[in-house]
Amino acid sequence: MTLHFTPVWFIAIPLLLAFLAPLWVRWRLLMPVLFSAQVALFALALSWIPAVQIAPILETIVIAPPLGIHLHLDAIALLLVALFSFAGAIVAAFIWLDNGAAHLRERPAFILMLLLIAGSNGMVLTGDIFNLYVFIEIVGVSAYALAAIRRDKTALEAGLKYVIVGSVAAIFILFAIVLLYLQTGQLNIAALAQAFGNMPAQMQLLIGLLMLIGLGIKAELFPFNFWVPDIYRGSDPEITALYSGVLVKAFLFVLFHLTFILLADPSVARNWLMALGAITMIVAELVALRQNDLRRMLAYSSLGQVGLITLALAFASEATTAGALFHMINHTLIKVLLFLLAALMLRQYASLKLTDVHGLSRTMPLAAGLFVLGALAVLGLPPLSGFISKLWILKGFADVQTFWPVALILTAALIEAGYYFRWIRAFYAPTDALPIAKIEGEKALNYAPLLVIAGLLIVLGVAPFLLEDWLQQAAQALLGREVLLNAVLGR
Amino acid sequence: MLEVLELFDRPAVLHSIYLIGSLILFFIGLYGLLAKRHLLKIFVSIEIMELAVYLILIAIATTPGETAPILSDGLIAFTGMSDPIPQALTLTAIVIGVAVTALGTSMAIQYHRLTGKVSVAEMTELKD
Repeated sequence: MTLHFTPVWFIAIPLLLAFLAPLWVRWRLLMPVLFSAQVALFALALSWIPAVQIAPILETIVIAPPLGIHLHLDAIALLLVALFSFAGAIVAAFIWLDNGAAHLRERPAFILMLLLIAGSNGMVLTGDIFNLYVFIEIVGVSAYALAAIRRDKTALEAGLKYVIVGSVAAIFILFAIVLLYLQTGQLNIAALAQAFGNMPAQMQLLIGLLMLIGLGIKAELFPFNFWVPDIYRGSDPEITALYSGVLVKAFLFVLFHLTFILLADPSVARNWLMALGAITMIVAELVALRQNDLRRMLAYSSLGQVGLITLALAFASEATTAGALFHMINHTLIKVLLFLLAALMLRQYASLKLTDVHGLSRTMPLAAGLFVLGALAVLGLPPLSGFISKLWILKGFADVQTFWPVALILTAALIEAGYYFRWIRAFYAPTDALPIAKIEGEKALNYAPLLVIAGLLIVLGVAPFLLEDWLQQAAQALLGREVLLNAVLGR
Repeated sequence: MLEVLELFDRPAVLHSIYLIGSLILFFIGLYGLLAKRHLLKIFVSIEIMELAVYLILIAIATTPGETAPILSDGLIAFTGMSDPIPQALTLTAIVIGVAVTALGTSMAIQYHRLTGKVSVAEMTELKD
């Protein structure tokens, strides 16, 4: 039997490795396996770029025709899978090299992190709406458990809030899927897309609303995102990096993938989704101004960026979509960087309140420096990559003479500058107190994964053309409803 | 009298009854979710909402008179069978629902052991 590469590997490899966890425990290989699995998946994704550029890869694992599991690997799915594996690899490397956070280096965390990545990959790859629900639940369960994995008061509170909100969201998604099936008798997303237009208008609206509530909660859109800061505050920052970097991106993709493919004319939903994105962005940025805990501030900042990405994706033009996808990549990199820094700071300072981290730069100069770099990248200052992605989005709006989003995005950037500099000022504030003694176990090696991200932020900012072709193709794949329908339904 | 009973046996009428019943159940769950503060009551409400969705799927997808889609006892062709997909979906969804509820309740128990609290209103550890 020859092994041939199929998209199912992105889901099967992490699942298999997770189930073999007892072996890795016995051989003391948990962390190396976690890290190398993500690196292998990332390499696998990169090796597929040339093939996917020619044509999307469709795979149907047939049970008995017409029943089968359908996977769809096109440019956008490949982009996101690569991004998720990269973020996973960075977080895994950080936890591996780290001396603290012992509970994250044990078997439960190992299994749950692999399940999280497997489920996220499944969400972007699947072409079947019920499988989508199953993957959403796989991701959900592993995320709830990861939130509570520290098992102290705050972590359990975060986990409980997450499990309640998350399962309500899943019920709404399931309700929408049930209505879709009852109306059309189809579960394949492409077949559903074809039949969707023939449904009664009220039914379309109802399904749309149910989906929007369910996915809106999961993708952290206003007004469904009240729960996010609590979860981000209570969970371990290493885990939060995965939520902000991987989970939210997967759910945003699902939301827009379904919008663009089910609606023959996405402009029906355009104004609503754009308004939702704009409100999410502005409200989150304004609330972030008043946060006195670093993790809550980062959570609101993450929501603001999610709003920006939503605003740009909902506009559904190729230029803004490519910009939004680039911004997704940047935001993942930046938030993984900032949350991992928060993890390091948390260990040194035990509390991340604004008043407690005065003069942090004297104890942890490198951490403070990297925080400044990350903050500048969020704001979108050249030569960092955040500048290019925001520029693409703004240019995409300006080219078609739509100026209100431009004004809003620039306002949001100003507010962002306000709160990031508030924290940077605290870090560099002169204090009379002597620098706190370094805790045991902080090594230069801890910073290695963070420096990789910092390097990437600069490289992508100086040389965005490295990704430009790929992003254009991904945008076309996300918006190209007809192409996808023809490819899947074989018309 | 018999006509009235036959009227009730028509698929359209039956389906509407099922649908109304399930929706009532769904809103009972939603009410519980929004009005109750006890952790276990919230999980019960979530389960009720989930159950209502399963009921809608199963009830609307099957019509009275259809048989199980299993070939046995002399049945050699699929005639008058009910659609098996909704049942497979519901079974899957039930399994997932059980797993989520088990996770949630076990976290609630641990939380109660640590803090002695049972109400979401008292969960203030994460606020500033």
